[in-house]
Amino acid sequence: MSGARVILRVDGVSKRFGGVVALDNVSLEAEEGGIYGLIGPNGSGKTTLFNCITGVYKPDKGRVFFDGRDITGLQPHVIARLGVARTWQKVRPFRNIKVIDAVIAGGLLKTSSISEARKIAEETLELVGVAREEWGKLGSEISLMEHKLVDLARAIATKPRLLLLDEIAAGLRPHEQEKLAEVIRRVWRERGLTIIVVEHVMKFVMSLSRKIFVLHEGRLIAEGTPEEIASNPKVIEAYLGIKPA
Amino acid sequence: MFNREILIALAIFEALVLGLGFALSGNNYLMLLAAQVLLFAVFVAAWNIIGGLTGQLDLASSAYMALGGITTSLLWMKLNVPPLLGVFAGGAVAMGLAVLIGLPTFRFGVKEVWYALMTASLVVILNNLFRYTMGPWDFYLPSKWGLIYLRPRTYFELFLIIDVVLVIVILVNVYISNSKIGYYLRSIREDELASESIGIDTRSYKLRALAIYSFITGAAGFLQIVIYSSFSYRLFDTSQAISIAIMGIIGGLGSISGSIASAVIFRTLGEYLRSSLGGVFPGLDLLLYGIMLIIVGVLKPEGLAGLFNQIRRWLGK
Amino acid sequence: MTPLDLLVAAGQQVIDGVFLGLFYAIVASGLALIFGVMDIINFAHGDLIMISAYFTWLLSMTLNLDPLFSMLLTLPILFLIGLGIQKGLINPVLGKEPLIQIAVTVGLGFVLQNIALGYFKAEPKGYPAPLFSGGFSLGPFVIYESKLVSAVVSLVVLILLSRFLAKTKLGLAMRAVTDDRASAMLMGINVGRVYLLTFAIGMVLIGVAAGLWMEMGQVTPYLGTSFSLVSWVAVALAGLGSIQGLIISAIIIGVAQSLGSLISPSIQMAVVYLIFFFILWFKPRGLFARR
Repeated sequence: MSGARVILRVDGVSKRFGGVVALDNVSLEAEEGGIYGLIGPNGSGKTTLFNCITGVYKPDKGRVFFDGRDITGLQPHVIARLGVARTWQKVRPFRNIKVIDAVIAGGLLKTSSISEARKIAEETLELVGVAREEWGKLGSEISLMEHKLVDLARAIATKPRLLLLDEIAAGLRPHEQEKLAEVIRRVWRERGLTIIVVEHVMKFVMSLSRKIFVLHEGRLIAEGTPEEIASNPKVIEAYLGIKPA
Repeated sequence: MFNREILIALAIFEALVLGLGFALSGNNYLMLLAAQVLLFAVFVAAWNIIGGLTGQLDLASSAYMALGGITTSLLWMKLNVPPLLGVFAGGAVAMGLAVLIGLPTFRFGVKEVWYALMTASLVVILNNLFRYTMGPWDFYLPSKWGLIYLRPRTYFELFLIIDVVLVIVILVNVYISNSKIGYYLRSIREDELASESIGIDTRSYKLRALAIYSFITGAAGFLQIVIYSSFSYRLFDTSQAISIAIMGIIGGLGSISGSIASAVIFRTLGEYLRSSLGGVFPGLDLLLYGIMLIIVGVLKPEGLAGLFNQIRRWLGK
Repeated sequence: MTPLDLLVAAGQQVIDGVFLGLFYAIVASGLALIFGVMDIINFAHGDLIMISAYFTWLLSMTLNLDPLFSMLLTLPILFLIGLGIQKGLINPVLGKEPLIQIAVTVGLGFVLQNIALGYFKAEPKGYPAPLFSGGFSLGPFVIYESKLVSAVVSLVVLILLSRFLAKTKLGLAMRAVTDDRASAMLMGINVGRVYLLTFAIGMVLIGVAAGLWMEMGQVTPYLGTSFSLVSWVAVALAGLGSIQGLIISAIIIGVAQSLGSLISPSIQMAVVYLIFFFILWFKPRGLFARR
């Protein structure tokens, strides 16, 4: 992957809430086509970093560059239009609309035609493996696993170049997590996206990513391959009590 | 866009409405009531765009209705602009005010309870300002009749005019619902941040929904004044605005058929209660709305539309 | 009018406004407490005051007792009614989407309003000879006894409330739940019981507001809407978690309304709601929020 161009560059980003420092001078780079993990204990600033990248928060200091363009502080929908998609930690982002309609809304980013967006939605739902009989169900009628897949499909339907997955495996059973990892790998292979996975389930990230960033108390304390990370004393200390499996 | 199922449903609905219209055409009193019920359905159907589809609990319907209606009336009385044209100006004025307030409101992320309160207090503000400027009097429309004034000689014709408006508003709803803006509005109703993250400019789309709803409500407002044949500051009525939102909720948020059904059923029932028991128990109709709302809120948040779906599934089995 | 006359008139309005504001503080306190602790959006708040005011009036007329005293009889009953409303209507919608909560409480408000309209009819009802009905002059200003008394009683009750929240076990639990629900649960606070008692205490505050209103004025079925709106404006202005903040905000509202009535009595509420708009736009967390 070396030599590929940098699609995301986070440059010295800091963010504080009141007196609490959530992110402290975080810098990282992701190359186009890579698949990355971002780990850290709860409260280490992972979601805050995602929120700073996707425009939900404006960083206090530092810049965010996407594909060479400074996107710091742009509104979330503008950043989405540039090609950054994400999923949400929140369990159910929709309840009262149908699965297919939720994904069509994603597909409408690149077209105004409902029928074209529907085609995009159907392809995407098939790609992530949501069974056809689920497509007509409401968000409140499907299982948590299906919800995660639909949320993923909706993000992919916007045809992004960078996909940020925020604790997508949280709350799932081990065999569901394995299936989800498989889906993410398939999406990555077939769509050639750049993916960053935020997770505190170590096993999930370790199996997926080629390169991992570790956040601890708002600071980036390590980056490297899964093997390097697993044997890094700083990481082990930060995760004391959470065994890297 | 307008698929067969929808067109058939609309045709059946229209057959019923027109059939009822002809049946009642001999009785002026009932005809006027029927016109009022249909007009109420127009306001509820317009509210469905901001409240039902977009999920913004707007309680200012009566403000836009009154503002638009009074604008149209004044243009007619002072400047001789025939209401057939004047209603568009009425709609535009209502829309202008809505957008003017909507811009900072959505910009600063006012939502949920605060949006509801803000819109409710807009009704009171306008009520006070109009009472201040026009006093407590009723102003009667000029004694001129004709289609160009949207003021026909018989209540049956008025009923037909309102029915045409209702059909237009239903078609607007269906069109919006099945196009990109409809998908986006429903997505906003479910979760604004998640909508932003799939590239939806939530502020701009909320503003569009508000603009369409306030324009329709303002334009149709004149018909309410035609039914009363007069206007006063009392048209800015919080109860009326809340009733309209209640029908949209009882009907099932975002469901045009549910909204219209609840508007027609409950307003008819309400008018019946008011005429039969109003002397003994004023407000019994509104009491009924309140009870229905509590029942729907506690037991069946999907509203009448949920009930329709259940019946449909049950019939399908 | 000479400038001096105008100054005196304005001064009179400020005095009346401060009294009105202190009364508004007690009107809003029940809402602030319930919203803060339970996160329940109660649109029926003003209508609960309205119906309690009728209740006070009914007792006053039957027993020939001044509202200030019949209020003392209504409070325990309202406490029990509060328990009932919480169990029957509020509990089912706790934690539900705001829209559902608004719908159910708007429905409750409509029901109360129209029960009042059906039973008491639209004519205003008041107690004919309240204990405090006169006034006395203070320099160029007139002080109305009823307004003074209601302001003083409001202040006393609010001080008692803040003592209660600061000193008693239940009060501390209520504050803990306001500040951070999840941690409060972890600390072993029985949140369900706190909710139940919060609503009941909220009803008692509503009863005080209703009683004081009957000492000053008359009740109609439509009284509730403006009380609801004023309470929400006060909460928006104050933010959650500070009784002092609530009192100051309510006084700001009272004075603004009172000065607005100098322009014309028919636009006094418009002035208050315009303030509301600007607060929501520019200071959405209120002036004194702890949370």
